[in-house]
Amino acid sequence: MSQMAGLPTPWRWSATISANLVVAFLVLPILAVIPTSFNQASFISLPPTAWSWRWYVSFFADPEWRASLWVSLQVAALATVAAIALGLPAALGLQRAAPGLRPVLTGLFLAPMIVPVIVSAVSIYRTALDVGLNGTRIGMALSHAALALPFVIINIGVSLRNVDQRWLQAASGLGATPWTVFRTVTLPNILPGLVGGGVFAFVTSFDEVVIAVFMAGYGAKTLPVKIWESIRLEFTPVVAVAATFMILLAAVAFVLARAIEAGRKKAKNTKEDKMDLGVAA
Amino acid sequence: MTARMTGTDNSGLSLRFAGVSKSYGRAVALHPTDLEIEAGEFLTLLGPSGSGKTTLLNLIAGYLAPDAGRLLIGDRDVTNLPARQRNIGMVFQNYALFPHMTVAENVAYGLMVRRRPKTEINSRVAAALALVELGGYGDRAIQQLSGGQQQRVALARALVIEPDVLLMDEPLGALDRQLRRNVQLELRRLHEERRRTTLYVTHDQEEALILSDRVAVMRAGRIEQLGPVADLYNNPINSFVASFIGESNLLPARLIARHEASVQVEVAALRQTLTLPLPAVSSASQSADVPLLLLVRPEHLLLDESGPLTVRVEEVVYLGELTALRLRLESGADLWLRRLTDRKITRGMDLRVNWQAAHLRLLPQT
Repeated sequence: MSQMAGLPTPWRWSATISANLVVAFLVLPILAVIPTSFNQASFISLPPTAWSWRWYVSFFADPEWRASLWVSLQVAALATVAAIALGLPAALGLQRAAPGLRPVLTGLFLAPMIVPVIVSAVSIYRTALDVGLNGTRIGMALSHAALALPFVIINIGVSLRNVDQRWLQAASGLGATPWTVFRTVTLPNILPGLVGGGVFAFVTSFDEVVIAVFMAGYGAKTLPVKIWESIRLEFTPVVAVAATFMILLAAVAFVLARAIEAGRKKAKNTKEDKMDLGVAA
Repeated sequence: MTARMTGTDNSGLSLRFAGVSKSYGRAVALHPTDLEIEAGEFLTLLGPSGSGKTTLLNLIAGYLAPDAGRLLIGDRDVTNLPARQRNIGMVFQNYALFPHMTVAENVAYGLMVRRRPKTEINSRVAAALALVELGGYGDRAIQQLSGGQQQRVALARALVIEPDVLLMDEPLGALDRQLRRNVQLELRRLHEERRRTTLYVTHDQEEALILSDRVAVMRAGRIEQLGPVADLYNNPINSFVASFIGESNLLPARLIARHEASVQVEVAALRQTLTLPLPAVSSASQSADVPLLLLVRPEHLLLDESGPLTVRVEEVVYLGELTALRLRLESGADLWLRRLTDRKITRGMDLRVNWQAAHLRLLPQT
């Protein structure tokens, strides 16, 4: 925005308009799902002819829909934990890797973002068959963790760059063991990246469908898989309800992450406010 | 260890370097170095950037491992000890305070990781903050402190653990001039109270003069000269040390004759042949065929009607209580002269200049 301030007015206007158009193009199709979920008609249509909660009622009346939502939440939570457990050490290690090695390793760790998901899906599916993880929530969560790993590594990596090496030196010079240094200095300073990466991991898993379709079986049918099946079989507005839940959850996750970050900043600021008073007094 | 940490009038331990060296690939950061610092001494490492001062400090702190040599603190060989077991206090160039902790939490850190009782931590943190005149600042966030205050928090954090050795890496580099002067005097006072073994790194010669018992002048990974400040000033071993400490006139000189107790040199710029007593001749300049320089400190040049040298005043620089004069010699060379300010001398005047032979030094050019 501040960069645009220097431009002549007509340019500023056209920049604003095109930016808004892009946002509309990206967001409106997604938001369109929400009114259709409140439609009374038994087919998906826009705009709704009459409003109703009936499809929400049938969503929760159906044990399969309820189960799939629950599985999705479990899998996403598990995938988040796994992705952080793997991504945090990976990010710390990448930072210490020899400069020549770092780009190579980074490329490797970020590969799940670049490799077509269908390729990952097939290879994970085939491997999972050998170890009996197909159709299990653990299997699903681990596959999603692999997919989410790059987001965690990137987010933590970015916040690690703000951790001054001399803080760590100072801490160890003051007598702290490496673990204490990590716990008391590194961790508090990378917390925003850790939370951000976690949210990304959760959302990545929650709306992932390609791997899920391969891995679901009967035991781990996630919400997206259930939506996919329903659309092929019945195509009722319950699908729109499920989609609305997914949008809502993603939104809540990001707002939560933002709130945590803002909360930390605010805590700092109130500390500073107190201080300003102290200086004045 | 515990006895030492609860002690209050600990003056620190001696520090000994024996053949310590460090290279990065082919770049030598520190040539094999021997160095001994007495318990309670304030030693300053003075040198331009890249001279190896910070490398030396990091080797002591344990942030770097030497390629060779031993490092002893007191009679304890710490060469292979990690930083956390060395009981050394370090004040970093940009303080390296923990940004997510309050002032008190920063200072308490070293005691916290030593698992001292809470009441002891609180009282020692309060005492340390009072020592650096930051009593009552404990609850503040680091970001809200001025540079000078942050510097003092860093000092308190290093001192509160009762370190055997205190290391400071250009701790005043980020402060403005007035503040620097105040903090220098403050550091001097703190050191005189506690006599804690201190190793101080700076590239500011004035700071070195104010603070130190002894100064080591470093260049290119070597200690060029080590001694009390006055020694370095009066008897520099070469032109590098001479020009790094204090102001100097350095004039090319040629050795003509060598006698029992004196040497004879020809100084083209002065159009003179001078006889210097041997003490005035740096031992290094007696040996090889290195180019020689005659050192004349600006304050050792005297205005004297009967002096042997005729000069013209080219520039008058008023420095407050002192005035510096740039004098053009008949040979075309320039000399700086410093004297107590009097307003009678102006640009363009012709004067005569004299000196005492005892103040001249003959140095190898390096």
